Amino acid sequence: MTRRLLQGLDNPIVVKEGVSRMRTWRAPVVATLYLSLIGAVGYAWLNVDIGVTQQSFGAVSASAIGSHAFAAMAFFQLTLISLFAPALAAGAVSGERERQTLDVLLVSRVSAFGIIWGKLVASMAYTLLLILTALPLFAAVFLFGGIDPSQFFVSQLITVATAIALGAISIFWSTLFKRSLAATVMSYVSAFGLMVGTAVLSTMLMAAQFTAGRSGLVATTGAQTPGLPALWYLNPFFSLYEVLFPQGYAWPTLRTFLQLLIFGPGAGGYTPIGGPVVEPWHATIVAEGLVAIACTIASVWLLRGRRTRPRRRLEPLAQEPA
Amino acid sequence: MIAVDHLQKSFGRQLALDDVSFAVPKGEVFGFVGPNGAGKTTTIRILATLSAPDGGDATVGGVPVSENPAEVRALIGYMPDFFGVYDRLTSGEYLEFYAACHGVPRRRRARVAQELLELVDLTDRRDVAVDTLSRGMKQRLGLARALVHDPQVLLLDEPASGLDPRARVEMKELIRELRRMGKTILISSHILPELEELCTWVGFIDGGKMAAAGPMEEVRDRVTIGRRLRIELAQPSDEETERVSALLRDHPGVLSVRPLPDHLEVAVNDEVEDEQLLSALVEKKVRVRSFSQVAGDLSEAFMRLTEDHRT
Repeated sequence: MTRRLLQGLDNPIVVKEGVSRMRTWRAPVVATLYLSLIGAVGYAWLNVDIGVTQQSFGAVSASAIGSHAFAAMAFFQLTLISLFAPALAAGAVSGERERQTLDVLLVSRVSAFGIIWGKLVASMAYTLLLILTALPLFAAVFLFGGIDPSQFFVSQLITVATAIALGAISIFWSTLFKRSLAATVMSYVSAFGLMVGTAVLSTMLMAAQFTAGRSGLVATTGAQTPGLPALWYLNPFFSLYEVLFPQGYAWPTLRTFLQLLIFGPGAGGYTPIGGPVVEPWHATIVAEGLVAIACTIASVWLLRGRRTRPRRRLEPLAQEPA
Repeated sequence: MIAVDHLQKSFGRQLALDDVSFAVPKGEVFGFVGPNGAGKTTTIRILATLSAPDGGDATVGGVPVSENPAEVRALIGYMPDFFGVYDRLTSGEYLEFYAACHGVPRRRRARVAQELLELVDLTDRRDVAVDTLSRGMKQRLGLARALVHDPQVLLLDEPASGLDPRARVEMKELIRELRRMGKTILISSHILPELEELCTWVGFIDGGKMAAAGPMEEVRDRVTIGRRLRIELAQPSDEETERVSALLRDHPGVLSVRPLPDHLEVAVNDEVEDEQLLSALVEKKVRVRSFSQVAGDLSEAFMRLTEDHRT
């Protein structure tokens, strides 16, 4: 397993894509733009918050300012990543077809998995580089207080998981479609579905529950437990919000979450019963991981179809003795 | 080294290959000849493990393409009719990338790239971006790319298409060099004179069916009737051309006379001595500017075979 992982990292496609990407003027320009925008959002939020706090209370609460600025930057980063990740990955395989380089690659010894894995790692490497370069900006805001290290870590984890999921989805479309334009359009539709569609659909489901007389909020164990549809848990923005501004809800256990996923919230919400607690960010990261794995497997399967598959020769039936 | 046995392939209702069979012995250069859409690329793609046949078998080095495609990939070097290059990579990096894709150990990649650049005469372009190379250079680099893992068999689909005359000559020289290195080469083209100089074996395909295949001389002898001579007259007036044509037709061993705009093309059987024929013309006061044997009978053989095949 370790050997396979190391081989996966020593993938010629990763090296080639990395060299090609970093030689363009776009790479430093995109990184500069990305950091400038996040920095600008953080700086603007700090100034606005300081002004509002001074007017309201006459004294500045550093931790409140820090947490608000951090949240603004984290949400903005997640939005930017959901815009960049499809653009970086949607042309991965369809671009090879358009350049007429795919056949030559398929005749080499690199496996279909090696090609897809190489493309995913290469496109994600740049996205991760962007996330990594923005860390000092977050660290600067982190100094104001109001955000603990686990919130800092989990917010970045949600961003990375979202980038990987969107990258894998985009590579799937890129393998399915011959043209990069179609792959790019479908990648953005998918990104919109994950980032916005889940929220819209969840809200509609909640509204339907409310009109059906099933209240969305139920008091349990002293805290408010939201009787939210499971779809809400898959929305990265919602997960990020719950990480940065915890409401103190008693989140469902794994068992109740699965009930929620299959049957939806009951009339009385749910009662958490024994087992590990499923917070929204847990569900988001697991769901995004599963989507990434499923899309990678589907992409490998599609790419294998472009090569001759080994066929077993049927053994001739033994002759019956006369 | 290459054996294609009753290959069948359809795309929807379109029959692309219909019972195609031929063989290429080790170390030979096989010219795969046919018009556009005849089935050359389809056959080569099957041999390159990029397309599965609907019926029949194909083996490379004794390895069945359908049963063990991975092993076949290690034996072949493939150059498609159209291929792109990665911009932003230099020629050296381009070859090293494909060497890595073919599993060449890291420590050997730079040396392999250098040797191949020397072979295709692109050493001075090692650090030049691939997308700035001329078409001829890209084709040579493509051929070098097909050689990174030192394959025994080369499948070259129209390697000279789109090249200028100088680049064609360079490509031909390169293929001759590869033959001297002991490679078995299957090269497709619809430009026959090119293949005639280069190939030792030939196969004609038309409309998805093989019209003929075998050693070049054998196929040519099978199809061509006698030899052809080119006679250019010093005074090519209509009357003189007609008089000389009549004289030639009366000469024993002459099969046909074809007046062309600037010369006469004469088909003769193998019993005719060229000197005797020329002397006979001179005795009859015919002023001959040039007298030579026509080279390149492959075109005629191809036309004859494909016509027979279509009727």
